[in-house]
Amino acid sequence: MQINRRNFLKFSAVASSALAFGGLGFNLKPTVAKAELLQLKDAKETTSICCYCSLGCGLIVHTAQSGPNKDRAVNIEGDPDHPINEGSLCAKGASLWQLVENDDRFTKVLYRAPNSDKFEEKTWDWALDQIARRVKDTRDLTFEDKNAMGQVVNRTNGICHTGSAALDTEENWLISSLMRTLGLTYIEHQARI
Amino acid sequence: MQGKSFFVDLTKCTACRGCQVACKQWKKLPAEETRNWGSFQNPKDLSFITYKLVRMTEAMDGDKFKQWYFFPDQCRHCIYPPCKMVGDMFDDQAILHDEETGAVLFTEATKNLDFEEIRMSCPYDIPRWDEASNLQSKCDMCNDRVQNGLLPACVLSCPTGTMQFGDSDEILEIAKKRLEEVKKYKPNAALTDPNDVRVIFLTSDNPREYFRYAVASADIPKLSRKAALAKAIAPARQVFG
Amino acid sequence: MTNHYIDLMNSDCILMMGANPAENHPISFKWVMKAKEKGATLLSVDPRFTRTSARSDFFMDMRSGTDIPILGGLIKYILDNNLYFKDYVVNYTNASFLVNPDFGFDDGLFTGYDPETATYDKTTWSFQTDDQGIAKKDPSLQDPNCVFQLMKKHFERYTIDRVNETSGSSKAKLEEFYKTYAATGAPDKSGTIMYAMGWTQHTTGVQIIRAMAMIQLLLGNVGNAGGGVNALRGESNVQGSTDQALLFHIIPAYMPAPRSNLESLEAYNATTPKSPDPKSANWWQNRPKYIASLLKAMYPDQDPAVSYSYLPKLDPGQNCSWLVLFDHMNQGKFRGYFAWGQNPAASGADSQKTRDGLSKLDWLVVANVFDNETASFWKGPGMNPAEVKTEVFILPPAVFCEKEGSVTNSGRWVQWRYAGPKPMGDCITDGAMALELLRRIRALYAEEGGAFPDPIMNLNTKDVADPTKKFPHDFDSKRVAKLLNGYFVKDVKIGDTTYKAGTQVPSFAMLQDDGSTACGNWVYSGAWTEAGNNMARRDKTQTEMQANIGLFPNWSWAWPVNRRVAYNRASCDPQGKPYAPHKAVIEWDGSKWVGDVPDGGWAPGEKHPFIMTAEGYARLFGPGLADGPFPEHFEAMECPFEEHPFSSRLHNPTALEFTGEAVKRAVCDPRYPFVGTTYRVTEHWQSGVLTRWTPWLVESMPQNFVEIDPELGKLRGIESGDKVIVENMRGKIEAVAIVTPRLQPLKAMGQTIHMVGTTWHFGWVHPTDGGDSSNLLTPAVGDPNTFIPETKTFMVNIRKA
Repeated sequence: MQINRRNFLKFSAVASSALAFGGLGFNLKPTVAKAELLQLKDAKETTSICCYCSLGCGLIVHTAQSGPNKDRAVNIEGDPDHPINEGSLCAKGASLWQLVENDDRFTKVLYRAPNSDKFEEKTWDWALDQIARRVKDTRDLTFEDKNAMGQVVNRTNGICHTGSAALDTEENWLISSLMRTLGLTYIEHQARI
Repeated sequence: MQGKSFFVDLTKCTACRGCQVACKQWKKLPAEETRNWGSFQNPKDLSFITYKLVRMTEAMDGDKFKQWYFFPDQCRHCIYPPCKMVGDMFDDQAILHDEETGAVLFTEATKNLDFEEIRMSCPYDIPRWDEASNLQSKCDMCNDRVQNGLLPACVLSCPTGTMQFGDSDEILEIAKKRLEEVKKYKPNAALTDPNDVRVIFLTSDNPREYFRYAVASADIPKLSRKAALAKAIAPARQVFG
Repeated sequence: MTNHYIDLMNSDCILMMGANPAENHPISFKWVMKAKEKGATLLSVDPRFTRTSARSDFFMDMRSGTDIPILGGLIKYILDNNLYFKDYVVNYTNASFLVNPDFGFDDGLFTGYDPETATYDKTTWSFQTDDQGIAKKDPSLQDPNCVFQLMKKHFERYTIDRVNETSGSSKAKLEEFYKTYAATGAPDKSGTIMYAMGWTQHTTGVQIIRAMAMIQLLLGNVGNAGGGVNALRGESNVQGSTDQALLFHIIPAYMPAPRSNLESLEAYNATTPKSPDPKSANWWQNRPKYIASLLKAMYPDQDPAVSYSYLPKLDPGQNCSWLVLFDHMNQGKFRGYFAWGQNPAASGADSQKTRDGLSKLDWLVVANVFDNETASFWKGPGMNPAEVKTEVFILPPAVFCEKEGSVTNSGRWVQWRYAGPKPMGDCITDGAMALELLRRIRALYAEEGGAFPDPIMNLNTKDVADPTKKFPHDFDSKRVAKLLNGYFVKDVKIGDTTYKAGTQVPSFAMLQDDGSTACGNWVYSGAWTEAGNNMARRDKTQTEMQANIGLFPNWSWAWPVNRRVAYNRASCDPQGKPYAPHKAVIEWDGSKWVGDVPDGGWAPGEKHPFIMTAEGYARLFGPGLADGPFPEHFEAMECPFEEHPFSSRLHNPTALEFTGEAVKRAVCDPRYPFVGTTYRVTEHWQSGVLTRWTPWLVESMPQNFVEIDPELGKLRGIESGDKVIVENMRGKIEAVAIVTPRLQPLKAMGQTIHMVGTTWHFGWVHPTDGGDSSNLLTPAVGDPNTFIPETKTFMVNIRKA
């Protein structure tokens, strides 16, 4: 059977009716509740690219537009139209939904004070102010305008940065520019591993 | 032959386990608590919440390592499913056979069945049971997807062309053609029970080296009385080729 | 990758060595198997039989760290049997170049070695030149000083007996491997290499890859379909992040990071590569345009000559790479550290050193999706939180599908992805974090003044933030993407065309060196033109010629200029005829090139095809590297041998190592008799930060394991499923044993070598019984060119727990 994108797009429309009539001509109540098709009904469909290895496999992400899962992903599978993976995914790629919809994610800003034995929840406003303060103080304290040879270097020796191949290119351009603008020279990431 | 079939060409499987996880993803089946038991394979076996499992076996040729065999195990969706024949004796709504796709479907009424009888009836040792609910489960061919023109989740996820899915007649032709190609360099290659099931594996060697229940297990003493009866009315099984 | 993933299907022979693509790049096997269906031979060379080996036509085991002997033997085999592609070698490589007569090699050292600094003076690694400064050549390849003859002489020592003795690979297997791969030297055949960290993570890593690149050049396998030198990158955007220069030694798009001796933009531009050869395109001659446009993108309101001073300068020779960074952190040289989307406490070599280093910081900022060994280092094994002063800020990021932006795959496809679900909880995009942090730092400087505020006050936010939105929704990846493509700052007339200020540049060919164009990254020029976002394209139409090799030129966009196969001019003879017409990449139709986007549109023969080298030729002799112009075998910094048969130099004489740490290394130490190595599996990813929290993946691979051969199992009384301890002078880990016949002991240089292999996916944070990071065992020593640590070969002991 050839599955292409066109009939995939049709799919969420027919899904509910198929279920309503059981699809089989008789009342089918399977062991495990079959909410899978139903939850794709009216879900928003977006394309994405897998966040794991460097293949760049295409994904279709379904996001609920209503109900208890509103704005949450309800299904992530391979994009059959994508020329690299043609719908296929490995174990990691196939598990992406569980990475996204995962209760163990960090969902709050956390802070651990010096010598403390715990994290405390904080707001973005607080944390970004605090970090900005530390960056400025450290930069002002460790900024070197000229090196031992008297050459202009304009660099901040007291701060370093690593990351990240897990971010989008546009974000990385900004972070790369920001760190250099702050004067950092110790800027590294996964490519060095 | 009507309905749908899978062809699983094991000469192409890399055990990426996309199928194993894609099954869980589509059905939102919970993960099992597992331990590494000295193998890459996990979970160790199929279960009430694991319908698809890539089995991994290190085959030896005497003292010499021969090959690492991968076997993505799942319900074969028998053309004459013995589980249904046995199940019908208890409750004919427990195990359904979709006439359109050929999918063998376990319903909530499986709680009215004797699990041991059903499991014993299966020549491939597929059905699994939940003690708390007395329900049974297994692969349902992603019948919901298939009825809506989609590939089963495992087949969609398969990168190498190991798993193909389609109309039974066409799939059987593909399987036979591929067997002829593979036989040129793997003379022991075989199709597993191609005329009896809707999930046909191509093995490059004796199927039993991949997994004990890769082919129907008439020689493995596990049949109950009722299953033996059911078997007797089903057509004879054979290793094709 | 010079080529791209789909292109693997065009190969006649795929060598998988230093990589395990079936496990770590599983979908690549879609195209590997496609090649096999079309008749290609798959070769797996690895210290252990893997899922890749299971699907290959040929498997050869080898001792970890002996890639250069094995590949050196292949080079010798190709040369001895005249199996090289002569026209290609003469026309497109520097084989014919005459080398400085003072250049030499003796007993493991090239000329110019200084034992005091452990570096080379490379003066003699140069070419003889004519009056114009162009290298002298002998196209007959007979001159004893030509690269070809020097190469022949260098690899004379790589006899099959010596390779077998060193690597433990059998002679019969070596011969079969050499014969099979060398057959791709036929003009219409192509062979390819898929490699990854199995090659980079050695103190000879770059030279291993060089050896393979030389093989590919000798066989004419660069530029064609199904050929190339293909690094399988490990992360979805390690290509894109490298392009954006999150590395100390470069600035975006591979320009060298400014050094303090280049005080002005003029001085920087004076180091621009030059070529006296009119037939050399010498693409890097355009560098002044690229840096001026980059500076204009970063600091739009400043003249590039001024904003050049905003960029921090490294001292000449200063090394700020990963291992050095953590060495300095451990010495207490940093107060603050951003660990952004990375988990060095588990992913870096000699992790204990990294973890100790973190405790010496005043403050640490961690942006990551899940808890990990870096974020929680202060409560990790051996740490007493009450004694750890480091403040830790955890910033929760949106995940990949909760935001919009691009990632660049290994084949340089830049692909756009869209936001589906909303960021969970308080999560925001990493871009929003960086943007807001910049604004708050800027506000502090505006209020208080401080050290050199100019770069901070001038950094471009107008092309980053959407003014109609507020934090955390105003970071605008589309604006940044347009900036990366570049635009005209004022009206610019090029030829007969006037490009209006504010319009997107069509390609980097239009960039200017006078500040009239802004471009965040010249290799991304063309990604978002006036035609729109080319990265988001989903058009599969292609010409018959393009479809024949699976180019998909209208699907997404590839850098540079949508070229899918790099160096593709070398796939044609000097008249523009494809060497392999049945799988042509490009072809000259009499007036223009058709097929892929060529490496420059010049007519055939008008320019040399290797446009990124100053001379225009591919380099069989590579004068730029730290450890020599030809590859040479050395043992890993930790090894069970006191000598090897290639020279009296045991280790790479230029390897990166740290003062005082030699005591942490085992050479012929009876306490650590087994060769350790680390690797990955399909079911997890890198240090496991994402996958260890994904229950389905933990289910399939729940705990770290150690693979050993059955003989070693017997020797140590270990059976599959046993808990074992692996240890050395740097640390120890506990894991589950997998005793497997897929590993076999090897005989090498009179010893029986057992390997102990383990993954580096785990860490103490989660799952709690998964085991700690195997990087506790790996040494902080590095390749002298890339400074990548040697985590593929080190020494350990193993015992039952």
